[in-house]
Amino acid sequence: MSRVWHEPARLMLYLCLLLCTVSAWALDVPPLTGRVVDPAHVLPPNMVESLTARLKAHEETTSNQVTVLVLPSLEEEPLESFSHRVVTTWKLGQKGTDNGVLFLVAMKERKIRIEVGYGLEGALTDARSAQIIRNEIVPRFRTGDVPGGVVAGVDAILKTIEGTYQASDKTAPGLDSGVMGQIVVAVIVGLIVGLGLMSVHRLLGPVAGTGLSVLLAPWLVPALITGGVTLLLLTLIGAASAGGGGRGRHRGDDGVWYSSRNGGWGGGSFGSGEGGFSGGGGDFGGGGASGNW
Amino acid sequence: MSRRISVFTTIAITALFVGLSGCGYNDLQGVDEDTKAAWSEVINQYQRRADLIPNLVATVKGYAAHEKETLEGVVQARAQATGIQVTPETLKDPAAFEQFQKAQAGLTSALGRLIAIAENYPNLKADQNFRDLQSQLEGTENRIAVARKRYIDRVAEYNKMVRYFPTNLTAKFMLHMEEKPNFTVADEKAVAKPPEVKFN
Repeated sequence: MSRVWHEPARLMLYLCLLLCTVSAWALDVPPLTGRVVDPAHVLPPNMVESLTARLKAHEETTSNQVTVLVLPSLEEEPLESFSHRVVTTWKLGQKGTDNGVLFLVAMKERKIRIEVGYGLEGALTDARSAQIIRNEIVPRFRTGDVPGGVVAGVDAILKTIEGTYQASDKTAPGLDSGVMGQIVVAVIVGLIVGLGLMSVHRLLGPVAGTGLSVLLAPWLVPALITGGVTLLLLTLIGAASAGGGGRGRHRGDDGVWYSSRNGGWGGGSFGSGEGGFSGGGGDFGGGGASGNW
Repeated sequence: MSRRISVFTTIAITALFVGLSGCGYNDLQGVDEDTKAAWSEVINQYQRRADLIPNLVATVKGYAAHEKETLEGVVQARAQATGIQVTPETLKDPAAFEQFQKAQAGLTSALGRLIAIAENYPNLKADQNFRDLQSQLEGTENRIAVARKRYIDRVAEYNKMVRYFPTNLTAKFMLHMEEKPNFTVADEKAVAKPPEVKFN
């Protein structure tokens, strides 16, 4: 009889324990909704738009990912540790080049931080970040002009970086939607030709089909993907039809492909045109500077 | 007869591979390497801090030469910290690790005192060179904190593998790996800072 309430009690205990572990962090990292994230609602909409456009243009020419975050409060968490958590969660900057920057403002604590990724530490040094905060941002913030300070800060950050950092891998396109389309077309053409030729000779089909699809796809990474996929499909179909006496024509469907648009292949998203912005997989070592007003 | 042997051999070899991967032979090696890399990064950042200090001391001396005690304290603490030979081997020696930690903590508090006295010298505070050095020092302290945290995470992973069953068997008998020492405080600078007293 007393066993009846054991179960709910145990469930409650597990639930409590789960909640305890989940709420270990004081403050959640806000979602990366764009290049200017403003939960404090301090920046007027047209300013957010113009800043976003500037930052997007900067990324398109340099591949650097500079983002602005204006928080209402840090809620007891230290500025540097929160800042580092944000940038490692958002993964700003491209994987390998680590060229991300976060410009963080905490309204309640009146704190500012510029967090700089490994790759930009040479251009946007700790000293320069501190100077930007001291000379451009703090004076304006002190007069109450937070939007003006943010714009001046972004300006100074971009100008400090610009011209000294060159994107190194502009020739290898990331897997955005345009390239995906080309891969699809290339694989389909390769499959059609390959399947046709397989009735001529068992090996000719896969080889020719793969070769043709590789030629049709953009060089280098998409071509490799295309070649691999086509070869795999043709080989499977070839094996199946050899074993099953000509049945099972077109088994594979196109769903196996790389559907995510970001990071992963070392290219990151090059200002992917549909307005979605996400981090390219960059890393941060703790460089930058903090300040307050 | 020979077919039975070859079947047996195949099974034995497969079992060996499965056993090795299951018992974490490669995983242990991988995590060991990660720990060493994280440790190198920590040493790197501490060195970077040590390199900033001569310049900093010289700048402060220019304005506050009579703060001899504090200045000498920093110089001495730095000498002590850089005097300890630190290598990946230090990870195998908990006593040496402890010594290293203590020396660096000593340097952290000495630096804290040095920066604090700058508050009393407005000309020093306003000096461009001092400001740049101060921001570089703060940046380095932050990098040290990040490197320490990453090391702590890596070592936790490694120590778990060394202690959990069944990888602890592989660790003990095949690789002779032991637990690695860990920092006792994640961010020593945060702890070294005296608490702010606010009168509201």
